[in-house]
Amino acid sequence: MSKTVINMTNIIKRYYIGQPNELQILNGISLNIHEGEFVSIVGASGSGKSTLMNIIGALDKPTEGQYFLNNTDISKLNDKQLSEIRNKEIGFVFQTFNLIPRASALKNVELPMLYAGVSKKERTKRAKELLEMVEMQDRSSHKPNELSGGQKQRVAIARAMANDPSIILADEPTGALDSKTGHLVMDIFHKLHKEEGKTIVLITHSPELAAETERIITISDGSIISDTGVDSDTQENITNVTGNTEVSA
Amino acid sequence: MSIFENLRMAFGSIAANKMRSLLTMLGIIIGISAVITITTLGTTLRSTIKGAMASLGSNLMYVMITEKDVDNYYDSLDVEMSNEDMLTMDKIEKFLDTYPGEFQIASESPIGNANLKNSKGKDVTVNMVGAYDGTLTYNSYKLIAGRNMTMEDVKLKKHACLVSDIFVEQYFKEKEEPVGQTIKITLSNGIVQEFNIVGVYKYNGLSNGMGDRRSMSTPVYIPNSVAEAITGSQGTEYFQFMMFTYSLKYDAEVAKADMESYFKSLYSGNKNWEPMVESMEDQLKTIDMVINVVTIIVSVIAAISLIVGGVGVMNIMLVSVTERTREIGIRKALGAKKMTIKQQFVIEAIIICLIGGIIGILVGFLNGELAGVIANSVIKSNPDYADILGDIQIVPSVGAIIISIVFSTLTGVFFGLYPASKAAKMNPIDALRYD
Repeated sequence: MSKTVINMTNIIKRYYIGQPNELQILNGISLNIHEGEFVSIVGASGSGKSTLMNIIGALDKPTEGQYFLNNTDISKLNDKQLSEIRNKEIGFVFQTFNLIPRASALKNVELPMLYAGVSKKERTKRAKELLEMVEMQDRSSHKPNELSGGQKQRVAIARAMANDPSIILADEPTGALDSKTGHLVMDIFHKLHKEEGKTIVLITHSPELAAETERIITISDGSIISDTGVDSDTQENITNVTGNTEVSA
Repeated sequence: MSIFENLRMAFGSIAANKMRSLLTMLGIIIGISAVITITTLGTTLRSTIKGAMASLGSNLMYVMITEKDVDNYYDSLDVEMSNEDMLTMDKIEKFLDTYPGEFQIASESPIGNANLKNSKGKDVTVNMVGAYDGTLTYNSYKLIAGRNMTMEDVKLKKHACLVSDIFVEQYFKEKEEPVGQTIKITLSNGIVQEFNIVGVYKYNGLSNGMGDRRSMSTPVYIPNSVAEAITGSQGTEYFQFMMFTYSLKYDAEVAKADMESYFKSLYSGNKNWEPMVESMEDQLKTIDMVINVVTIIVSVIAAISLIVGGVGVMNIMLVSVTERTREIGIRKALGAKKMTIKQQFVIEAIIICLIGGIIGILVGFLNGELAGVIANSVIKSNPDYADILGDIQIVPSVGAIIISIVFSTLTGVFFGLYPASKAAKMNPIDALRYD
């Protein structure tokens, strides 16, 4: 039985608290995500999926409820500790790639390791391996404006993997790409999932993309309206493929 | 994150906006270069003046009898100086005997040119100067043979004289021993007198005219008492002013204190007159004070310029933070702590100010060198100054350079802190969404 990576209980998020325009975005979300799962969170815009993603990614704290990430209570952490969680436990992949424009692909991949205090030599070695994994080794010295959208997203995925995080959190990763490059990017996620056993949370509004994943959580108006995943007590159909020999290193 | 990574990042972002960074630095450059220029000129002026004074004899001290400070003009009316109020040779000799070996009399009185004929019949012109035991020290001449003039020579009106190495070359055959020889000097009034050479000094003073060693006329020092007898000058037995040199083994302060206490007690009973003791050191201190005042004024102006420059740095850092909002969001999402972001921007501000400061220092150097070139060309066109001042060496003030570097760093810290903490406080979600 694989361990639980994300454990959310009754998460509520409100904005403008105590003001006349107080707004409740999440109405008590409870959710478990296990190690090695490839989950998609689907919802229309305004459904609260971005807010949920921010909370999962430790960029934001819930107003109420508990969120355990690898048994750490995120809602009780301070800013510095949240930074460390984001650095080591979470790998972000954004719709707009969000690479640092002045830095080369290699430097971009190194950045999370820089903040983690990894030595220069080790950083470069790991970053090169990661770029090789996404087949971007030839472009390691290129700046983001010299890369195509699909190439940028591949670099971004390599960067997300830098500190070997517990989860990869991808927010509309194909949203800015044409369907062909979008598929190529999705292939990388599938590869990471199958070969490295990565836990991947994909946030999207596209049902086709969600259909590629093994569990679809649908959100509407701040509540989960459907979850194709199994109950957390029965784990038989969740593939745990950690320890695969084909890991490229 | 290491300081090295921070520096690399800071240089990267400064290089990305070269023109903007340079314009931002301008305020700092102007402020620092102004300070460095002025302090360089100040230290150069100080060392040049000190050098010039040393060539004139910096271990110089004088006593002057002046009217006592009185509270009002009415009381100060009609005080004539009587002979009793003046200094006499007796009084001065007693003073010298009280501190044996400490003081020499530096006063000298030129009594005009004189002529000699050497053994080949050629004319040699000299300047006759009545002197005391402190003359060589006063002129910074070194005795190279024989002995110095003594107070005994003066008291006993000995026909002893000191001649220069140049005179020796002009008057004597090569390898002839001048000390102990007697020379016949035809004075300006036509009288011929004999003098016994007791010492030879090395002449390094002003050249009269073109400075040709073969035709130069150099001083021949004779006891002042003998000089007075020649000129028949009256009234010089009484002095209102007397210049001394003090031996270098005594401290300037000690020598001055000794001299002051002696003459103060000598004049303690005098109602209207009192001695005033001054040294060349005091004059140097006055010059130092003037230089310091100018330096302080320029530093205040520079401080204002640094503040204006610093505000410019702050302004551009705020622009930079806003421009890079998204980058800050990305960095935070990737795990940069508040402190890390803050450090990054503060270091960037420091680097801008520091580069500005270093450019300012270099500009200040160049200004100093330029001033040096101008000053030297002015001096060269005026040979009288050239001999005293020589070639002016530009001396940068090390203290000012260190202070400049420290202050430009501090400016960076002070004016970088607000934009940096603004960057650090950004909410990563909003920052990531920023366009």
